[in-house]
Amino acid sequence: MRALLSSRPVWMALVVLAVLLTLPLWASAYILGVLTIACYFGVFAMSWDLLFGFANEVNFGPTFLIGTGAYTAGLLNAHGVPMWACLIAGAAGALVGGVVLAVPALRLTGPYFGLTTLVAVLLLQQFIIIFAGTTGGEIGLTMNDILSMDATTNYWYALAFMAVSGAILLTLSRSPVGLILQASGQDRIGASALGFNVVKHKLAAFCVSAVFSGLAGAMLVFYLGTASVGTVVDVAVGVQVIIAAVLGGRRTIVGAAIGAIFLILAGELLRPLGQLSTFVVSAVALIVILFFVDGLMGLLGRRREES
Amino acid sequence: MRHATTLAFRAATALLAAAVLGGLTAGEVRAQGKEPIRIGIISEESAIAGAGISRAAQVAMDEINAAGGVDGRKVEIVQYDDHNSAADAVRAFQRAVSQDKVVGVIGTYITEIALALQPWSARTHVPFITTGAASNEISRHVHDDYDKNKYTFHEYMASPFIADSVCDSVKLWLQTKYSIKSAVVLSEDAAWTTPLDAEYLVCLPKIGVTVLDHIRFSPDTSDFTPLYNKIEGEKPDVIVTGLSHIGVQPTVQWAQQQVPIPMIGISSQATSGTFWKDTNGAAAGIVTFSVASDGANLTPATQPFVNAYIKRFGEPPPYPGYTTYDAVNVFVQAVKRAGSTDGDKLVAALEQTDYTGTVGRVEFYGRDSLFTHAMKYGAGFATGIALQWQDGKQVPLWPKASPNSTIKFPAFTHLQPPKG
Amino acid sequence: MLAVQILVDGFAISALYGLGAVGFTLMFGVSGVLNLTHGATMVVAAVTAWVVAGQHAGSPWLAAVAGTGAGVATAFATYFLVVRPIQRSRSVPAAEKEIFVLTGTLLWGIMIQEAVAYFYTDNPKTVQPLIAGVMQIGGVRTPINELLIAVICWTVIGLLWLLVNRTKAGKVLLAASINPRALTILGFELSRVYLLVWTIYGVLAGIAGVLLATFLGASSAQASQLTASAFSIVVLGGLGSVTGSLFAAYVVGYLETLTAYLISPAYRTVPALVLVVLVVYFRPHGLLGRR
Repeated sequence: MRALLSSRPVWMALVVLAVLLTLPLWASAYILGVLTIACYFGVFAMSWDLLFGFANEVNFGPTFLIGTGAYTAGLLNAHGVPMWACLIAGAAGALVGGVVLAVPALRLTGPYFGLTTLVAVLLLQQFIIIFAGTTGGEIGLTMNDILSMDATTNYWYALAFMAVSGAILLTLSRSPVGLILQASGQDRIGASALGFNVVKHKLAAFCVSAVFSGLAGAMLVFYLGTASVGTVVDVAVGVQVIIAAVLGGRRTIVGAAIGAIFLILAGELLRPLGQLSTFVVSAVALIVILFFVDGLMGLLGRRREES
Repeated sequence: MRHATTLAFRAATALLAAAVLGGLTAGEVRAQGKEPIRIGIISEESAIAGAGISRAAQVAMDEINAAGGVDGRKVEIVQYDDHNSAADAVRAFQRAVSQDKVVGVIGTYITEIALALQPWSARTHVPFITTGAASNEISRHVHDDYDKNKYTFHEYMASPFIADSVCDSVKLWLQTKYSIKSAVVLSEDAAWTTPLDAEYLVCLPKIGVTVLDHIRFSPDTSDFTPLYNKIEGEKPDVIVTGLSHIGVQPTVQWAQQQVPIPMIGISSQATSGTFWKDTNGAAAGIVTFSVASDGANLTPATQPFVNAYIKRFGEPPPYPGYTTYDAVNVFVQAVKRAGSTDGDKLVAALEQTDYTGTVGRVEFYGRDSLFTHAMKYGAGFATGIALQWQDGKQVPLWPKASPNSTIKFPAFTHLQPPKG
Repeated sequence: MLAVQILVDGFAISALYGLGAVGFTLMFGVSGVLNLTHGATMVVAAVTAWVVAGQHAGSPWLAAVAGTGAGVATAFATYFLVVRPIQRSRSVPAAEKEIFVLTGTLLWGIMIQEAVAYFYTDNPKTVQPLIAGVMQIGGVRTPINELLIAVICWTVIGLLWLLVNRTKAGKVLLAASINPRALTILGFELSRVYLLVWTIYGVLAGIAGVLLATFLGASSAQASQLTASAFSIVVLGGLGSVTGSLFAAYVVGYLETLTAYLISPAYRTVPALVLVVLVVYFRPHGLLGRR
């Protein structure tokens, strides 16, 4: 426990959390809205980092899990199921989706795994568009319930969700399970030689990633009030998640959340640039990965040494 | 040394974070005095249609301010690029209302985005006028839950009206020149075409046109050859289209393959002034509908706006440009009428709109109509116009034809004159 | 009649897919780089061709050359600005270089896409076909351009084959794809090999982009779709196998065409995607992959 508290990423996380907690006192509804979305993105990125940073699997389609969770929740809500049940169902749906994806995908390595995850997203997108009658297709699904009308309340929900998810994911990453994942990520053969069931652990990581991604996706659509392909399924969203995690600093969990917040804030700050804001954000992210390989977390202090 | 560097980095980052948040909060304090009337414009700047929305708003703003503004207050446009993303558009809306203090939002030509913004307009009680989206879902929501959704106005022809406009033009104009007894409906699979196609299927048979087939294709289709071959096999007299997200590709391929069947109906991209260049002339003979165009002279307001736009931007406005220009004027007049920028009062004032715009006489349907707050369609209001591309120019042909102009289909098409 | 239509239709589009895929797989085979800027490179070539054609009205051949040149320029930019710095970086652990290159090319591709959209909007650009008009093939009216595209693609692929199998430079390329370390031991400079492969890649992607503009049109918004499509075809055929990519390109091209004609254009991409998933599951190294 003491080791946990004395590590840099955890301190960073606490500092950032403290700042975020004070926000409702002085920030406008608009800023709270931006940060609400950033918090959900933070969970997307942290879930991705668990898989990538630790299991060393590049998931090109985080939005498969996010989208499955979001649409499960959304479709149920459209049929009158109460919100809390939808959220649970969303997480469960994403879990099922995750397992269905993982079982074939984990037999593969490197680019093949990445491609399978990418194709999963494309298939999900096609599925939603083809069955537009039920899913709302391109227009999207309007939710019957939303989390709250009030910006501050929404903000608290998002912040709390991100903090709790982050704590769980961070603890997992440092637990024995996390260490095994790291080992199997770096040296699959060595880890198996040591007797660890690499596939089983990767599957577990996938499931955890799926549950959090799906739940966050479900909460996001209840915040926005609509579920649409463009917000939770599109490959572009997945790209943003990946960029956030790499930008923040891979293998730190905390870095992913910070990267997400930075990315979303930067995008908003650059809004007056209009069309060029995406260009600038991508350029900054590129510069970071070229010159500051350990991302923002690396900038802020030495990373924990890898064994 | 390393310790100092780390410290330096941390300090720099803290400063950066402060700057970022500070940048976002800047502008909270406003100068006292005659407050300008701020209108937010949300659209996709990298699309021709979207860029047209913000440009047309600027033209409107400059004219209104040159004429003295509203009771001495200037009109100010605040532009937001929504990058074709509903999430971005929602954030832009939030920023516009709570940060930049706009009193109304105008924008988007994409139905998905308009529908995502509608609930936010309802929550913030800020009027939102959409000037390019077509789905009648927008106004249906207003009808179904008036108290909540009344802040949304749909200043564009709703899909069913667009379809009616096409059918009217076929009956009153095309069928007088050609024998048109059968058609194939070809639409992109998108939100706005569902009600469009449904109305085509109803109004075409009413004018004696049998619908041989109804094809909906995915908006990311890039190869139309199978579709054209299939349609050709069915031998219709015309292809009636519902295209908006795409236009260049199907048109170019239609011309390259020399498909012997003319295309009429809606092709939104074909309404833009650059379409001829974009298709390298393949647009010749395409008939599309728009709300107005250069040379259409629908009302005394139409051509002056087109001239002002061309003077400033070098090309004629795309279709949402006309409705956006009108919407800014409509909104500003509503502010004058209401004597206030309060949401509810503005809604009441907007409902009383009776304005001669570039597209026709602009009035909105009331609570008694299924399409509450949609723009009125029909003779005397907005009827839409049929345009055909000929020799690099868009020629308006119906309901008012340009002088000395006539319809001309490409040589490879085979329409026959009417029998008897 | 329908069969002939499908045959002719599928052939041209498969040839186009094939050209793009061959470049992509060659890049991976020789230098281990999965270049996610692929789609953007093709788009740049297409848009450049359109710009040049617009300024010199009526010379599609000049435009084609300009477009191909732009493809090569983009390829070089990608290599020197993004890929090489990462490959040479000392702060990226060797095991993660691949992932950084992936993310880097992904970001670079987005930047290019946005820049193109900023200057030219995301409206699709088309270039007049190199030879206009239609001709009859087995009773099917086909634009001559389609046939020309198939001819050009296959000629280029043929030239590539000659290069790889009959010239010294080509053999070095082949060797580099099998065992780069052995090559350096034998005294060859890998950096020159990489330069060669990026040049070839640029030419292939550039030609593919220009042909796309004459046939279907290309827009900046399609960049990621083009990349994903090339990626899927290449994996289907076997990463690193040129023959595999060509074969897979035809499989995918015909699958899509058959689906579009016989089932519905709305489901065009689905069977191909499903096939990719099945192959990746049952035969991960692709239909004709080595190892």
